[in-house]
Amino acid sequence: MEEKKTQKTKRDLYLIVGLFVILGGIFIYFQFFKTQQEASRAHIYYGSTSDPIVTIDFQKQQVTVNHIQSVPNQYDNVYPLIDENQHTVTLLGDYEINGVRQIVVITYDFGLRTVQITEEQSPNNICSREGVSNGKPLICLPNRVRVEFETNTEFDFIT
Amino acid sequence: MANFLAIAIVLNLIESAIALSPIPGAKLGFANVVTLIILYMYSFKDATALALLRVLLVGVLAGRLLGPTFYMSLGGVALSVIVMGLMKKTNFFGILGVSVIGSIFHVAGQIGAGIFVIGSTVILYWMPVMLFVSIPAGVITGLIGKKFISLWGTWHTEINH
Repeated sequence: MEEKKTQKTKRDLYLIVGLFVILGGIFIYFQFFKTQQEASRAHIYYGSTSDPIVTIDFQKQQVTVNHIQSVPNQYDNVYPLIDENQHTVTLLGDYEINGVRQIVVITYDFGLRTVQITEEQSPNNICSREGVSNGKPLICLPNRVRVEFETNTEFDFIT
Repeated sequence: MANFLAIAIVLNLIESAIALSPIPGAKLGFANVVTLIILYMYSFKDATALALLRVLLVGVLAGRLLGPTFYMSLGGVALSVIVMGLMKKTNFFGILGVSVIGSIFHVAGQIGAGIFVIGSTVILYWMPVMLFVSIPAGVITGLIGKKFISLWGTWHTEINH
């Protein structure tokens, strides 16, 4: 009984060390890989579609609206709203305060190739706490808004 | 048993409040220490029941029932407790090993559920870091579980761990 127990504990240790090395290696590899890449475009998604609603192209330095959000009539504006002076994209999020959906403001920077969720309403404002990103996806679950980056990889010879 | 459930709920709520993880909505599962303890002290059925109840009650208490976090927790906990139950049955690993395996599958289950809930594979971006971090998390919960059971055991009857 005691021997079985020490046998199991030994296996536990081998397992832990093995996993640590393997998963650690995978983690380091991906970290390295990610820092090698430069963002070419950022896509803003709303809802569950795989079709971005707005695309920010860092190389061409332009912002394109691919679709218009279908919002109920009670909301005055047409979303998404692009403000090229402020470098922001404003969407209507899903998060409601007193039944009113709240806006999500996303700021982009062509030069730095970054995107940040700067203004939004959500529990604890977790979305705007994600900070500035130059590659890490920004996910705002309560508003169902996400920002994903597209990168130039060294294997990309097609322009 | 109800006491354990209460502790599990509190641990889960505290963990949500601290918001430890890089992935929005995912948790490292420190509340799983209770699931682990129940698994070894009682039965697989008890552990499953407690784990599911915990997710449900936390969902209700945190007001996020049927939200994305709820489904992700559910997916993570369900997969984790099933795998832990199987691993324990094989008696190949000790409680530490089972805990670490449980922790990894907890994260895997959350990521899997997350893909469905978010509607995109974007969450996979965090998979390497989350899986890696789940190892120390599993070790910690395993050590706590092991210590708890051995303390309990010195007060009550022998438990095989």
